[in-house]
Amino acid sequence: MLVKVNSAAISGLDGFIVEVEIDSVRGLPGQSIVGLPDAAVKESRDRVKFAITNSGFEFPPGYFTINLAPADIRKEGPLYDLPIAVGMLASSEQVKIEKLKETVILGELSLDGGLRPVNGVLPMCMAMPENGMKAVIVPKENADEAALVSGIDVIACENLLEAARYLNGDISIKPHTIDIGALFSSGYSYEIDFSDVKGQGHAKRALEVAAAGGHNVLMVGSPGSGKTMLARRLPTILPPLSIGEALDVTKLYSITGLLSPKKSLITERPFRSPHHTTSDIGIIGGGRIPRPGEVSLAHMGILFLDEFPEFERDVLEVLRQPLEDGVVTIARAMSSATYPAEFMLVAAMNPCPCGNYMDPTKNCICPAHKVQRYWGKLSGPLLDRIDLHIEVPRLKKEELTSYAAGETSKAIRERVSRARDVQIRRFEKTKVRCNARMLPKQVKEFCKLDTEAESLLKSAILQLKMSGRSYDRILKVSRTIADLEDSEVIKACHIAEAIQYRSMDRGK
Amino acid sequence: MGKESTILGKEGEAIAIDHLIEQGYKIIDRNYRSQQGEIDIIAKDGDFLVFVEVKAYSMGSFGFPLGAVGPSKKKSMIHAARTYLMKNNIKNVNCRFDVLAIYRSWQGLSSFDLIKDAFHVS
Repeated sequence: MLVKVNSAAISGLDGFIVEVEIDSVRGLPGQSIVGLPDAAVKESRDRVKFAITNSGFEFPPGYFTINLAPADIRKEGPLYDLPIAVGMLASSEQVKIEKLKETVILGELSLDGGLRPVNGVLPMCMAMPENGMKAVIVPKENADEAALVSGIDVIACENLLEAARYLNGDISIKPHTIDIGALFSSGYSYEIDFSDVKGQGHAKRALEVAAAGGHNVLMVGSPGSGKTMLARRLPTILPPLSIGEALDVTKLYSITGLLSPKKSLITERPFRSPHHTTSDIGIIGGGRIPRPGEVSLAHMGILFLDEFPEFERDVLEVLRQPLEDGVVTIARAMSSATYPAEFMLVAAMNPCPCGNYMDPTKNCICPAHKVQRYWGKLSGPLLDRIDLHIEVPRLKKEELTSYAAGETSKAIRERVSRARDVQIRRFEKTKVRCNARMLPKQVKEFCKLDTEAESLLKSAILQLKMSGRSYDRILKVSRTIADLEDSEVIKACHIAEAIQYRSMDRGK
Repeated sequence: MGKESTILGKEGEAIAIDHLIEQGYKIIDRNYRSQQGEIDIIAKDGDFLVFVEVKAYSMGSFGFPLGAVGPSKKKSMIHAARTYLMKNNIKNVNCRFDVLAIYRSWQGLSSFDLIKDAFHVS
């Protein structure tokens, strides 16, 4: 008997419905799976066979053809185990077909018939209500994630037998629900705090500005001065994610399989710090079947690149496009995908290979050409895209041994959130979310300078020979500084602070 | 070695047939050969047409009978089964591949291990 079971797949960032068609003929026993399955889908034959017999069902005789439609899109992963098993049981009349029409089935089977969690459940579930689906059967571990989507009943099952009994109407399973509000109200649970960092008032202020406007930062300082420590604490002063943003981030983590079953919704801003040996594909995303890279996993959060010049030049250069556009499109022969990549770049580096260049207490032993080559790794266009350049000097003895605690993350976060609120109101009707992402038109409209500020900026441009992009960056950063003070116009002091964050331009 | 195992095989097949009949199988054919394959016993078990491979073992020899049905043996059985179905114009009948293992002790007693639906066409 021909049976159709609904399942789902992912293309790029979006889910779509896949129809699993199963039919059998009498003859030599066997199964074949068609519809562009990958190795994991083909292997499901063996898992399905044992899962069916070990769940107390009879493995149906005959030759089965399993078609995954639409047949022109590649299907990957083991999530078709359960729909195939259910389909084979339905085809042999061991499972009733009434509920199959409006139910989507996802899940990997283990040999004993138990269900294992699969990737990409959230984006798949998002596509279901619009396709007329009423319920989804998912493995228990995926239930929370699936329940984030409204408009569909989430039936969480532990094994094949439970799913079959539900479909037969032998048992009823209460739809799984989750309280999204409660997930958010759990609040911040960071174990680190800005008050842990001693001294570095200048750098802290700069990071506050960066957090407030979503600006990119480059920290230059000798080893042990606290660059990494500062960067790791940056998420603690960023405003919390909105529900929409959290869902976007969770989708990305869902398709890459990085979502832990205990935490179905990512409510904290991501902090990614890939090692400097990471390849360009690892950073930007890609592969034969495209997958999101680190820039996308840092979406709405922070991409921290420690030892910035140690990264391959190719890796650094591929950052330029997502820094500008906030999305990456990866095209491959098989398919192409667009992933969001709105992240804050935080880079850290030593001033020279030995780390002591410009240090007042220690001598740098690097020959000049080595320092030059070290800096040469960072191209002008890339540096141009980094709004704030900060020097993080080595701490003085008195600062190291003092017990004076700095400001807490909470206090800073409140100021940052206020500044962000100003920006959200300002860009209400546009796609822009923060000052750093303003378009040229918006810079013109919103970055109003008073006369004193204007003359200061003009003379700075002339004397420091800044590029057009640098000029733009200064305006954006000064806009953020003004927002932190809740000032409508940009004043000379704001411009002055913004200019001093362009130390790499000045150095040239 | 070769002669001894053939005798073991021949005797094994006779015992196997007795055992299968005992299990309710109806024997249809023996030692069916196609160009590229062979099947020891073809039988009917209820609605199923069953192709049986017999593996006889004297106690103490190595390996399991299922292990002795490797990819090439499977291929040969599948080929023979297809040929058989086609030549006899059999359609719409569910088929099955079984493996019957016979263990023989020194006293001449046998024990059986019938593995139904041992493998599938892939």
